[in-house]
Amino acid sequence: MGKPEVKGTVTSLSSVFPPEEMQKAAKMVEGKLSEKQNEMNQLKEFIADNTSLINLVQKLPDELHHDIMVPFGKAAFFPGRLIHTNEFLVLLGESYYADRTAKQTVEILKRRGKSLMSKVDALKAEMQDLKAEASFFDSTASEVADDLVEIREYEEDNSTERVSQSGPVELESPSVAEADNKVSASEDDEYARLMSRLEELEKEELAAEDEDANANATETETDSDEDELTEAAFHRKKVEGYSSLDHNQRYLVSQPRKQLQQSKGKDPMNEEMSTTYNHQDLTNQLACTGLTAEPVTKGEISRGRIVHQDTKMLNPPVNASVPSEKTSLKQIIHDSSRNEKPVQTPKSEFDSSKAFTGSIIEHTENLEKKLPEQKTTSSQSSDSKPSKPVSRFKMQRK
Amino acid sequence: MDSLRQEKIHKFEEFVDRRLKPDLVRAIAERDKVFDQQKIFSDLRKNIENLEKNSVTNLRTLVNLGSEVYMQAEVPDTQRIFVDVGLGFHVEFTWSEALKFISLREEKLERQIEEYTRLIASIKAQIKLVCEGIRELLQIPEEKTVEGRVF
Repeated sequence: MGKPEVKGTVTSLSSVFPPEEMQKAAKMVEGKLSEKQNEMNQLKEFIADNTSLINLVQKLPDELHHDIMVPFGKAAFFPGRLIHTNEFLVLLGESYYADRTAKQTVEILKRRGKSLMSKVDALKAEMQDLKAEASFFDSTASEVADDLVEIREYEEDNSTERVSQSGPVELESPSVAEADNKVSASEDDEYARLMSRLEELEKEELAAEDEDANANATETETDSDEDELTEAAFHRKKVEGYSSLDHNQRYLVSQPRKQLQQSKGKDPMNEEMSTTYNHQDLTNQLACTGLTAEPVTKGEISRGRIVHQDTKMLNPPVNASVPSEKTSLKQIIHDSSRNEKPVQTPKSEFDSSKAFTGSIIEHTENLEKKLPEQKTTSSQSSDSKPSKPVSRFKMQRK
Repeated sequence: MDSLRQEKIHKFEEFVDRRLKPDLVRAIAERDKVFDQQKIFSDLRKNIENLEKNSVTNLRTLVNLGSEVYMQAEVPDTQRIFVDVGLGFHVEFTWSEALKFISLREEKLERQIEEYTRLIASIKAQIKLVCEGIRELLQIPEEKTVEGRVF
């Protein structure tokens, strides 16, 4: 069944949220928070003054006169008396005053107190929002400090039905690191989901291949996907249903048409990228975001795995595509000549018309044997394999 | 060479921004306070002179109880006046005594203001000095590196 190719992006959180900006944002929020705090304190003072004034106003009418020291400016006093103790001149704002009795003044002051309280409540709500912002910034800053990496994966199921069927088997027996296992596990689930859709897609693909190929000639997505798709257009469709890489699928569909054009040079690069992405995507899908470092660090291993996986995926559905992919992969890994690709791609096209060999052998070496056309290429790749560490994995797969 | 200069320039700038400018701001604030005091006393003096001129004995005022709520107050005898002499003390004066005191107070305030003014001037001079030094450092290397630079 072939593993669905997993493509994705790896973005370190520090690039999305640069630490400096995080700190700046955190400081800004803190500043605002302190401002609000000051305002809050001021408002509380006003409220306290208001209540004490209410008490005073209520007490004053008890006496006819009160002996007081009357201020004269800011630095002098006159001894005097308070008279008309029930008459208050209240400032209503905008230089408007009102003569009121003690009771009426108390009512005015109480209304003022209410408005102050509502202001305090509004301030509290704002402060809470600011605190939430601050906590968010703090958590993100700590994440950035931990060098967490955000990994997004998109799964593309390029394998055909047969591939999918064999995929789980193949996937379940990865000889490589855990990622493979995890990948296979997730892939199994996904395959199960897509199985029902594969048949539909197959039919559609065949019909749409021609259309898509023409339309997406310019796309240059991963070559590996491309290779796979060349043989099985429907696989791509399955992948579409699988992942969000519809464009990849189309790309693959169009690949057969323009393999030569696109494969040259780009393929190995794309393949490599796609394989690594696939690997990463798979691991991510399985393991979840926790595996931040693994996909990145396991680049080497992943490549080997991917090769296996890719080969697995490739084997069942597309004989031609597989070898082409493998060779392309090998090219990437081994930095071997890229002649294979162009050679293979046409072959893959040719093979796509044929039925699948049904062989699930994932090893690129096996595939090479199967496909006589690719013998030369495969032999080349096989030769190159042992020389490179990646081949070790392939050997194990076999 | 240039990097050293850059460092020096940077240090000078930092010195100006961190030490001198805040000092300047503080000195100006202090001087403003003294200005306010001076104004208060001059107002008081004018009022007392006014009272004396009009031979006012009774006085009706509005006393601020807080939050702009006023109440009428009466001063039956304006001969005695209590003036704030600092440290929370108010001394009972007659008008003429009050006027004398106020004039003494005003003199003292003026001297304070002058001191602050001198301090502010010295800080400003220091800032200018540092700025000139920076400019020199910048110009000299520029002359060397930039050909045909014309002052």
